[in-house]
Amino acid sequence: MTSLSLSLGPPALVRLHDALICLSKFSETVAIEAEPDLLRLSALNSTKTGFASFAFEKGVFFEAYSFNSSINGRSGSVSLERFFCQIYNKALLSIFRGRIDRNKDTAVERCDMELHEDLQQTECRLTVKMICGLGVIKSYKLTYEPAAVQHAVFDKSKATSMWTADPRFLKQLIEHFSLSAEQLDMYSDSGRAVFTSFTTRITDGKEVLKHPVHTSVAADKRDFQEYLVEENMHVAINLKDFKAVVAHAETANATVTARYTRPCKPLQLEYRFEGVNAEFTVMTRGQADSEEVPTSTRGTIPRQTPAPIPISAIRSRDTRPSVTPSTQMPPPPPRSRSIRPLNGSSTQENLSHQKPSADRPVASGLSMEFDSLFVPADDDRQWDEMNEEEEEEEEEEPQDILGWDASGTQDAFGASIRDTEPSFSKQDGSRAEEADDEMGLPPTQRLSQVRQYGLFD
Amino acid sequence: MRFRTQLKDSKTFSKLTASLSSLGKVCWMRLEYEVIRFTIIPDQGTQVWASIPVGTIFDDTTYELESNSDAINIEVNISVLNRALRSAWGATHAQLRLTKKEKNPLLALTVLASEWTEGNMALATNDDADGFGDDHNSEEAPADTTGDRGPRERQTWITQEIPIKILHESAVEGLHEPHCPDPEVHIILPNLAQLKSISDRFTKLASTDNKNRQPGVMAPDAPGMHSVSFGGAGANTAATALSTNSSPKLELSANMHGSLRLAIATDELRIASVWSDLVNPPLDPAQMTQEEMNQLPSELNRKRAASEGFDFGWAKVRIDGKDWSRVLSIGRLSPKVVACFVNEMALVLYVYLPHNRDEEESCLTYYINSFTT
Repeated sequence: MTSLSLSLGPPALVRLHDALICLSKFSETVAIEAEPDLLRLSALNSTKTGFASFAFEKGVFFEAYSFNSSINGRSGSVSLERFFCQIYNKALLSIFRGRIDRNKDTAVERCDMELHEDLQQTECRLTVKMICGLGVIKSYKLTYEPAAVQHAVFDKSKATSMWTADPRFLKQLIEHFSLSAEQLDMYSDSGRAVFTSFTTRITDGKEVLKHPVHTSVAADKRDFQEYLVEENMHVAINLKDFKAVVAHAETANATVTARYTRPCKPLQLEYRFEGVNAEFTVMTRGQADSEEVPTSTRGTIPRQTPAPIPISAIRSRDTRPSVTPSTQMPPPPPRSRSIRPLNGSSTQENLSHQKPSADRPVASGLSMEFDSLFVPADDDRQWDEMNEEEEEEEEEEPQDILGWDASGTQDAFGASIRDTEPSFSKQDGSRAEEADDEMGLPPTQRLSQVRQYGLFD
Repeated sequence: MRFRTQLKDSKTFSKLTASLSSLGKVCWMRLEYEVIRFTIIPDQGTQVWASIPVGTIFDDTTYELESNSDAINIEVNISVLNRALRSAWGATHAQLRLTKKEKNPLLALTVLASEWTEGNMALATNDDADGFGDDHNSEEAPADTTGDRGPRERQTWITQEIPIKILHESAVEGLHEPHCPDPEVHIILPNLAQLKSISDRFTKLASTDNKNRQPGVMAPDAPGMHSVSFGGAGANTAATALSTNSSPKLELSANMHGSLRLAIATDELRIASVWSDLVNPPLDPAQMTQEEMNQLPSELNRKRAASEGFDFGWAKVRIDGKDWSRVLSIGRLSPKVVACFVNEMALVLYVYLPHNRDEEESCLTYYINSFTT
């Protein structure tokens, strides 16, 4: 059984609401991740090119925070003291909206949130209680669902370029851009930091007037608190994401730090304030370095949703999804009822196969660098635009999909569906393989019809 | 072909483009040695022909124009231009020039924005995360911190590249201002802010479930652009096209004795607002002889009504409420507006922008069709 309970004071409540608004610009759902020392809210956009995460520290942000997890028995890993779920962001926003007014008698004085998850119970509920003035208590029960929480991978130590700036200054830069601009290119040019907005749209030669405006803003390096950026290296990110980050950083009054390496590698925007660590990892576009981005990546990886991989593997190097082994079945997810039947094997089997989990990192094909985490997702359409790209700095098709580290150690969801990988069958013997074959596809015939062949007699 | 100038009054330019952009997106901009002409001819609704002396918006001394035909005709999305001009507000330096990028013609606006900064923008709450990775440890970072942190002038260069289309002289030859009959009444409109708020109020009251009509976009290559006719058959087709939408129609009428009447009538309501003691300006004697002038319907009306009473000599037009509201957005430049009424046919507005005495006058002419009942 897992239980999480926390209390927020009014200022933290406002912060939480601001964070939720920012997250809502990335995705409709917000992933909640509880650890003994922090609570993380994150959102991943639908094209998997932008990931926003807010980590709230136990001691600073919350008035009270406690998290207990007792699913250790099922896991083979020590780092399993986490809990994940996801929730529809609009539901959360509507609860926290407009709770700021301190002048009212019934202004919120404290907010308590509780979550108890018991495998024996069917309900998944997050309880939010607003303790207001005059003894008013408003309670909300929200439905959440179990989720495979994924984190974008970003290695700060490998960043080669970085800058730090005041969000108000960044906002001034943004204001020059046309509202319809989609992309933001940044580079350094002889002492100036140049930000250019552009739009990658297919335009007919005749519709010249519909061509987007190019806006470039060149600011003095001195306007940044720090500016250590490789000269003339263009990286481009989604302008909407950047706007969302700057808007939130401004409300938090926190200086924003950007770190990145090369085009087509992720860029991270980060800031900290009042016990909150905000990190935004977004994919960049631009002219990729051919040596660093193996072009073969796309060809060899089958089209599939990037499968999450275990946290232990991340700590080493690789997160390439396609080679994720499943020598081990995942533990049953908090609510795996809907998933389990696909395994074609019983829960008992699941549990017994968890033992060899220690081997997993070794067994996986740890062949790729961190940087090559970016593999195509299954949605093919997202490439179309890039193919049409007429931007000079984007001749090569950038690999702009983020790869995922399923830090949710045992991610049941992805792996349990794909239980037919070779390593599994080897371990399990032919019987399991047969079972998989039988159950992998829905039956098309009645047993009575095939009985005459004697297979099941 | 060459065009380059410093902006003199980016605020006026910006307000002008904002008002024009409410009528249509595509603007024909004609750059001449003395004047800049802006023309918007939407598929439906009001068209505007503006003639702005170079010195009103551009800096005369830096104005450079070279063209074989003594003019450069360009087509530009006026709202894009307007948005770009916003960057030039309060700038110390703003230059507009014609240029090319990958064979695509552009209007490039280059702005140097200066702003006084208090210096160190460091915020107390942030003591820079955890250094900068392994290669740049945190001791190194402050040393690399760029520049001084004292109060100073912050300078930012902004470049806006606005896509345009160059029109050949032959493409615009056929374009001319509409001709219309001599007006029955001409009158100086009251304060536009007041007129607009009352008009908008009326329109809103009469609005039922009308769907918002988009301001017409002039198709760049539409043949119709070359054969603009006004009044007569052309007006009728336009009127038919427009009356299919349910947007309320305002009735605007005036006489030669200083009265203007704004009214709206629907099945449910009838409202009217009347201004009196407005000015019916005298005509410019330099343009025609006294005899010709006496034959004009407006001058006849001026004489007539005094003897026949004030119920006579009114000229009336029916105009689209939303379109009228867009026309009146020119009010932000606080101009003087002379409205010329051609009874039951058209309303022509001559809009004069405020100017210094030694400058030439800017004039925008709006041609508004009257709807049939």
